[in-house]
Amino acid sequence: MSLFYMSLLEIILWVILLFAIVCVIRVIKGPTIWDRVLGFSIISSKLVLIIAIFSSMRNTAYLLDLAIIYTLFGFLGEIFLITFLSKNVKERG
Amino acid sequence: MENLLHIISNIFIVVGTFFILIGVIAIFKFKDFFSRILSTSKIDTVGAITILSGLAIRHGISWFSAKTILLMILILIINPLKSHTLLRYAVISGHKNKKAKGNKEVAK
Repeated sequence: MSLFYMSLLEIILWVILLFAIVCVIRVIKGPTIWDRVLGFSIISSKLVLIIAIFSSMRNTAYLLDLAIIYTLFGFLGEIFLITFLSKNVKERG
Repeated sequence: MENLLHIISNIFIVVGTFFILIGVIAIFKFKDFFSRILSTSKIDTVGAITILSGLAIRHGISWFSAKTILLMILILIINPLKSHTLLRYAVISGHKNKKAKGNKEVAK
């Protein structure tokens, strides 16, 4: 199926990384700023998955703490971003 | 027993990746912001939980599965909160639905 031996987890890792990169296009193309924030939150949730799969590939559990903390602080950061945006954004359309 | 767990977890992971593929397609298919956020946030949560449960099954009863289940619970709580806050502040700050091709009646 693939040229060199790649376990299923590694293939899934590359596929989800590809999806995250495709979401960057939505962040760039997004007409309104809210699409950009949505793209940002989708990418960060995909990154959590990438961390989880990577830690499963290495059979170590300590990387999952990274994913948990990243989810929490990603949520925190996004709340502050949104509250700032809602006061300062001026819809052009 | 060992490769049975691996087969089941592989199935879960592939199905989760398929969900995430649908989420990515939904991001580009929908033309306006509201239908886009409605679909991607839900599909993303489901895809994440399917993949994480696949990973938890792969490792059986261990610290890894315990942390994965905790991560699943957190994602189940945080993703809807994220989308709700984003949607609420978008509507409050005056994001109107433009005359998208798909839904003319919304624009009125």
